[in-house]
Amino acid sequence: MVKSYHPVSLQEALAIRAREAVTPYAGGTDLMIKGDEKAGYLFLNNLSELKKITEDGEYIRIGAACTFTAIQESELAPAILKAAVSQIAAPAIRNLGTVGGNICNGSPKADSALVFWATDSKLRLVSSRGERVIPISEFYLGRNKTSLQADELLAEILMPKIGLNNYYYKKVGARNALAISRVSFAGILEIEGGRIVNCQTAFGAISEVVIRRPDLDAMLSGKTIEEAKKAVKEEYLRAYDQAILPIRGRISAEYRKVVCMNLLRDFLESNGI
Amino acid sequence: MEAISKPVKKKDHDAKMSGRALYVDDHVLDDMLWGRLLHSAKAKARITSILLPQLPEGYYVVDKNDVPGINQVHIVQDDTPVFVEDTVEYVGDPILMVVGPELKQVERILKEIVVVYEELVPVLDMLKSDTVFFKYNYAKGDMEKALQEADRVFIETFQTGYQEQAYLETQGMLAYPHDGRMTVRGSLQCPYYVHGAVAKALGYEEKDVQVIQDVTGGGFGGKEAFPSILACQTAVAAKKANKPVKVIFERREDMEFTSKRHPSICTYKVAVKDGEITGMDIDVLFNSGAYTTLSPVVLQRGLICANGVYRLDNLRVVGRAVKTNTVPCGAYRGFGAPQTFFAVEMMMDHLAKEMGLDSLELKQKYMVKQGDATSTGGKYHFHVPLPEMIEQIDELTNYREKRRQYRNQTGRYRKGIGMSLFFHGCGFTGSGERDIIKAVVRIRKNPDETVEILASNSDIGQGLKTTFSKIVADTLGISLDRVLIENPDTDRVPDSGPTVASRSLMTVGGLLRRAAERLKDEWKAGEEQVIEEHFVEPDFVIPFSITEFKGDAYPTYSWSVNAIEVEVDTLTATTKILGAWGTFDVGVPVDLNIILGQMQGGFLQGIGYASMEEMNCNEQGMIRNNSLSDYIIPTALDVPNLVTKIINNPYTHGPYGAKGAGELPLVGAAPAYVEAMENALGVNLNKAPFTPEDTMRVLQGGLK
Amino acid sequence: MVKFRLNGQEVVSQAQANQRLLDVLRQEFRITGVKCGCKEGECGACSVILDGQLVNSCLVALGSIEGSTVTTIEGYRETERFAALDKAYASVSAVQCGFCIPGMILASECILAKNPNPTEAEIRAGISGNLCRCTGYNAIVQAISIAAEEGKGLW
Repeated sequence: MVKSYHPVSLQEALAIRAREAVTPYAGGTDLMIKGDEKAGYLFLNNLSELKKITEDGEYIRIGAACTFTAIQESELAPAILKAAVSQIAAPAIRNLGTVGGNICNGSPKADSALVFWATDSKLRLVSSRGERVIPISEFYLGRNKTSLQADELLAEILMPKIGLNNYYYKKVGARNALAISRVSFAGILEIEGGRIVNCQTAFGAISEVVIRRPDLDAMLSGKTIEEAKKAVKEEYLRAYDQAILPIRGRISAEYRKVVCMNLLRDFLESNGI
Repeated sequence: MEAISKPVKKKDHDAKMSGRALYVDDHVLDDMLWGRLLHSAKAKARITSILLPQLPEGYYVVDKNDVPGINQVHIVQDDTPVFVEDTVEYVGDPILMVVGPELKQVERILKEIVVVYEELVPVLDMLKSDTVFFKYNYAKGDMEKALQEADRVFIETFQTGYQEQAYLETQGMLAYPHDGRMTVRGSLQCPYYVHGAVAKALGYEEKDVQVIQDVTGGGFGGKEAFPSILACQTAVAAKKANKPVKVIFERREDMEFTSKRHPSICTYKVAVKDGEITGMDIDVLFNSGAYTTLSPVVLQRGLICANGVYRLDNLRVVGRAVKTNTVPCGAYRGFGAPQTFFAVEMMMDHLAKEMGLDSLELKQKYMVKQGDATSTGGKYHFHVPLPEMIEQIDELTNYREKRRQYRNQTGRYRKGIGMSLFFHGCGFTGSGERDIIKAVVRIRKNPDETVEILASNSDIGQGLKTTFSKIVADTLGISLDRVLIENPDTDRVPDSGPTVASRSLMTVGGLLRRAAERLKDEWKAGEEQVIEEHFVEPDFVIPFSITEFKGDAYPTYSWSVNAIEVEVDTLTATTKILGAWGTFDVGVPVDLNIILGQMQGGFLQGIGYASMEEMNCNEQGMIRNNSLSDYIIPTALDVPNLVTKIINNPYTHGPYGAKGAGELPLVGAAPAYVEAMENALGVNLNKAPFTPEDTMRVLQGGLK
Repeated sequence: MVKFRLNGQEVVSQAQANQRLLDVLRQEFRITGVKCGCKEGECGACSVILDGQLVNSCLVALGSIEGSTVTTIEGYRETERFAALDKAYASVSAVQCGFCIPGMILASECILAKNPNPTEAEIRAGISGNLCRCTGYNAIVQAISIAAEEGKGLW
């Protein structure tokens, strides 16, 4: 039987992680569905170092073991993130599930991860060897595959503080609670002095990983709303129409594609574009 | 409100509320073994061999060779095997059971068993079936002539899907041998069905089998026939091991391999002459799945109400229940009626559009009334309250006005409203009650002046312990706490029939009322008295012939009108339910809260059936939606408060004026919902469930 | 070996740390008020209160609750708050098959503990992870509302 551990500090957790093949356990809501009898868990749910939400000049820093409920109740957590986590499953699951687990599970349907994608958040990964901070896009290697090393833990998510206020978030599930995303979309649009300075969008539950195309979103940068509407909008939508290729799933690819495009268009139009 | 309708605290409230109520999985007996079934992984195959691992001491494999009696489960026909013989007929067919003291070991052994199949070509599509299990037809008037003389003939096909009961407690059974007898207890609706089946499988005399209903976490029809199968398997295992054996289904196992509502394809051919509907020629096809189970009776009910609540002089109905290599379908609240009511209500809606009328206008024109003939030449003997129910719903919802407003919408959000008119025939179809069930009840007065109800009907949440007790207490004029009622135990209670067909309160409750009246007359203080009553068919009933489909299929009918209002978001093709209203005539409620609870619960199941509950097989014949995350049922956030009204229309032959209630509220939700979707989308729709993907197809197809 | 507080008592479980709390409660402690409906967090029948918050006990590994406090219906039914909910649920006959009820009651408690005067929408959100197939939810929502009203001061 594989052993489980209850580290009392992050340092101790990393030391165990470095020497044992244990599964990091934060909220457990994904792990326990599988209910692996052979699993040895590294319990992180009581490490206060991983449960803080703080901010500095550049980032809102969210501890990986923060539960969705903690984020809903936090004053610092941005509204776009609250919008996403408040629609995850139901209260009992939000009381356990964590953002770190949501990210590390590697699913393209993870609702909080989508927001981190859309906001170009960074992940602070730590190990007893040190730490690295990488963009979330570099973390995902494929479906259920991440670049998390065997001795690493996700410690924090760093959300850049810019442009979080003008956001658009829509989750389409099969029902209003206890629903896995069929399509999810998040976008932020920053306008300064009448010009779009930054547009960031992300699509969840469509592909092996979240779809985030800064190259396409850049088409809108520097344009006035009027210019974007007249000159760029249709080209932008066409580009996404080619870029979004939903993989086959329980819910048809055709349906998910149309919803993506509708939401993207609505995101633009709700901003006057 | 009648005095009897005044709500009381339910008899089962305290035990369930406090968590003290024991369901079958809560019982642990000394020396008890755990059982788990090995289900076929193939839809159709011959088993060439089964390779077993070395079994540890105390573990057993139980299969067809261990069935001491007959390897058939007695349901209506006996084609369902206890354990498969040499071939498997659907993914899930039970091959064997592993039992032993540790469930984890049992599961490990199961995983190590290798079944070698010689695969055969399965039939998965009901349209391609070559085996008709049941075929019935009936007619009235001259349908051929109506078709020949028609100005126009409208032909449409309607489809409905599977519906899973999704009771919160999965199937479970516990069997233990003792003193040369076998006791089986578990989650079930019909103790005597299980009793008969187990006796046959064990080859026991009936006196040597005891069946006890444990507190049951919902049934909705799903625990009518299926528990007989599981009980036989568990009892055979207990017999072999000579120890108690408990089997509790996993949720996925339950969703994949237990009976559900029959998918249907109904084709309606409607003759219209001079602006009048002159006849309906109806073809009904039900997918039975691999075995017959309850398909004949489900089909019969579906056929009898294929013309809905409408008066038609010419009618021809043909129905088939066909075999496919898929999970056997069975009973689910409504029992064949939700399928045909969906079809006929949608048909009427579409006809109305062709005739330039609103659907309600057309429906009102053909609606039956007291004294009219039924589809089978019986009679609506009693008042049909549909006209006042329609007005009540219109008043509550402003239906007629909204229906007009919602035509020709543009914009992101589009609203719609739909209405359905329907009935549910109360009790068993035809002469089943008189010829087959022959219900018997007893009440026993104890020397301490308490009175115990002895009947085999089970309280599965619908409140039967309370309503039965209220009838007896009120009739005797004693307080409710002096009336005792336990979960049925076949050693103690007579066979008052199964808990199905919305019959328990009307039929068995009626017998209890008579028994209590007699006891009241014969009451002897301080003595023990036992009163027994037997079913007698009401004298007004026109005897029903099942071979000809002639006569009163039901003594009376419960009636309802539903309206549902929706709002479609055209960007996501998702639908929000803005309101759901139902008015119901179930005679006099023996308890208003209980009846409202039944109406609301059934209504929501119907809304789920209409909108989100989708279940399909893949190309290998496996159910794909086998978990509560893949098979979606409504949560508290998916519906607004359901508005349910009860109208007072006492049934002269029911206890305190009561008639059938439990199934009615599920029957009409799907047509009301899909009609609302039509109103919002401006097109004709022909399927349920109608999901966001279906909506998107309509929107993409170009909505006017 | 995991120590925690169960319905007011210190207990020690001998089960493996990776076991579901649900199974430990039902099998080791014979706490049968915790019901198993799906083992996937999709039904809420196994809800318990863990350190003041509603959780699905099927999704909690035993090892994660070292030192925590767990309340099931067996403990909760001894409280005054339960009595208020009990009366309210009874008054509208909100209990049908009963299988969702222990979880539903604990969800009701968590709604009211957070917000003694919840709106209908807040109540529905609060029980949205607790499936009930019998009632259509009307009576349950109504019962929680009645308990909030009649049990003023308790929460």
